[in-house]
Amino acid sequence: MRGKKASVPNRFAIVVSAALLAAVAQVTAHHSFSAEFDENKPVKLQGTVTKMEWINPHAWIHIDVKDESGKVTNWMVECGAPNVLFRRGVSKNSVAPGMEIVVDGYRAKNGSNKANGKDVTFTDGRKLFLGTPGSGAPGDTPEK
Amino acid sequence: MKVRCISLITGGAWLLFTLPALHAQAYRAPRGADGHADLSGIWQPLNTANWDLADHSPQAGPMWQTGAIGAEPAGQSVVEGGAIPYLPAALEEKKNNFASRRTNDPEAKCYMPGIPRANYMPYPFQIVQSPRGILFVYEYASANRLINMGKPVEPVSDTWMGTSNGHWEGDTLVIDVTGFNGLAWLDRAGDFASDKLHVVERFTRTDRDHLQYEATIEDPSVFSRPWKISMPLYRRVEKDAQLLEFKCVEFAEELLYGEYKKK
Amino acid sequence: MKTLAKENCPLLPGCKSVCVAVLCAVAAGALFAQTKTPAKTWTSPKTAWGDPDLQGIWTSDNSFGVPFERPRAYGNRKSLTDEEFAEREKENKLLASSIEAGVTPKAGYWLQHEGVDYQPYSASWSEFAHQTSRQTSLIVDPEDGRLPALTPQGMMLRMAAIAAARKKPRPESWEDVNMFGRCITRGVLGSMLPVMYGNGTDILQSPGLVVIRYEMIHEARIVPIDPHDHPHPHLPAGARTYMGDPRGHWEGSTLVVETTNFIGGRVGIGPDGAGVKYSEDLRLVERFTRMSDLSIQYEVAVSDPKTFTASWTVAFPITEEPGYQIYEYACHEGNYAMADILSGARAEETKEGVQPAAK
Repeated sequence: MRGKKASVPNRFAIVVSAALLAAVAQVTAHHSFSAEFDENKPVKLQGTVTKMEWINPHAWIHIDVKDESGKVTNWMVECGAPNVLFRRGVSKNSVAPGMEIVVDGYRAKNGSNKANGKDVTFTDGRKLFLGTPGSGAPGDTPEK
Repeated sequence: MKVRCISLITGGAWLLFTLPALHAQAYRAPRGADGHADLSGIWQPLNTANWDLADHSPQAGPMWQTGAIGAEPAGQSVVEGGAIPYLPAALEEKKNNFASRRTNDPEAKCYMPGIPRANYMPYPFQIVQSPRGILFVYEYASANRLINMGKPVEPVSDTWMGTSNGHWEGDTLVIDVTGFNGLAWLDRAGDFASDKLHVVERFTRTDRDHLQYEATIEDPSVFSRPWKISMPLYRRVEKDAQLLEFKCVEFAEELLYGEYKKK
Repeated sequence: MKTLAKENCPLLPGCKSVCVAVLCAVAAGALFAQTKTPAKTWTSPKTAWGDPDLQGIWTSDNSFGVPFERPRAYGNRKSLTDEEFAEREKENKLLASSIEAGVTPKAGYWLQHEGVDYQPYSASWSEFAHQTSRQTSLIVDPEDGRLPALTPQGMMLRMAAIAAARKKPRPESWEDVNMFGRCITRGVLGSMLPVMYGNGTDILQSPGLVVIRYEMIHEARIVPIDPHDHPHPHLPAGARTYMGDPRGHWEGSTLVVETTNFIGGRVGIGPDGAGVKYSEDLRLVERFTRMSDLSIQYEVAVSDPKTFTASWTVAFPITEEPGYQIYEYACHEGNYAMADILSGARAEETKEGVQPAAK
């Protein structure tokens, strides 16, 4: 189906429309970070996993964080979309209650105990959400 | 005279024996492309099971402003053999669900209905029998599920619609569903199950325009024993019948997020 | 390339390079031309009832990273030079290995967009291309690979929307969040265009029907198939849906799906339903052609005379990746973000002493 121009738009229109239409960019996530989290409020949390919600559009880790006085606060950490990890062999048991994890992120704008999980690791520094190694890099595809 | 008598008696006996058999001769559904009974088409329930699986009398709706519209109609139970066998603690939870049903029913929030409820929502659904499996496409909330007809697969995670593994027993499609997240309800009356729910469904075409649907529901943390529901499903016979959309998120946003709206 | 070669190459010594060359030429040809014909050496599979078989789980992952609109520097060039291709392939490999190692990739999207606003989670949550595409853009027509100009009406609506958004620094309600953010729909084109994840398309067939099912946001389009000269009429103009009303027919081994009856003015025409919102006059003509056991060429002609001054075409292959499964994507049910975004906006307003909205 060939494009057929009805009439020649004026130059101003072309310039304006180009600017408006540009940046139909690859979308990163379901919504923008800055709508939900505050980059002026970085947090670093260390705690015990109480629940892992493998849900869409974002998975959420629930952790109990104990402060110096021993008081426990429950936090929720927002992650990406789990289906990507399921395809790499991560299972719902990969993150289980009782695991000790460290979260680097930013606090929610609404002031609640929620943060995004920019970096989530075990206490020894290993990343939490790695899939099976060798799962599909270019040149890595198993022969069919 | 004797011969005619004997013929009459023999003939009569033959009729007596074969007529019931002819009458009871099971309907044989036409074959689908997969060689099995053809269940394809658009189907819809005609009962009020979605209001309440048990017997129910008419009740007022949630808002007096809509008068009789939105009120609950009467309906007969689809539960075989009496009341739903709740464990005592679970029965308390059901009662709490009922009390808060206007706002807590996942259907009010336009959440996916789960199984078995998706099959008796008051919206049509379509069965598509393909070599890749049997697809159920529900008009309600764009829900759908693909029944795996090969070697059974394990659920990867807990979901709203569960993980469905199917096989044929003669002309009956049997579907084994597990891997639920325990968040769906079974009806608008607060009947529910947990993430330990296990449903075994049976779909049998009984004639050109009817399916018989049965589901055995088992959840040891909620019910004292497995129990069963059954109901007919009716074909949408209009020449141009097709599924439309019921994307109800827009109708549920005020309920879910109204308190966060700018005043 | 490797997988195709192994599959189709007869086991004769010295023939592998010929096979690879032939198959590369075929694949490259598939990426350039608009009318596609599969290689003669391969027979397109058929279903048991004789229709071309498009069934399987297909993904656009391999086109993730290809710009939707062609950067001006490429001019009218539809494909990368060997040098540019090698560069892109290097980038894809770096992306893949970084993701697997759990480090932030210094490639593609991650390099173009640094900073917390664009990279809120680790790259582990992103898909990546397993094979590199040669396309300079996903839009293949018009010649410059860019969206045609908007009509005066389209322009007016777009500028009004931008002006209205400027008046609202924060979302006042869910209506100020896009349709994907509300977990309602990404539209047809938005469900096919490759993005960071959720690019799975499941195609199922039965006699007289093709069903196209997307992982994100779990929609299923049921396409009735009719003989081309005897099409099933569309729904009446008053009956509209977000995914439109599709009608299909076969042209040789190509499935042609014509879709109208869209709800207009709410969903954008770009990836994830972002970008310029299309009108109710949108008409899509999609073409699905099986090119090999592992790929389908997808092409969609977009016509919306109320919004765009010309129709335009997008084309790219969707491919089968070994082991790729589609999982439930219950979006709305898990949308904590919506409540967080709105309550976050209200918290900021309270801090700033912002007045309530005018009644």
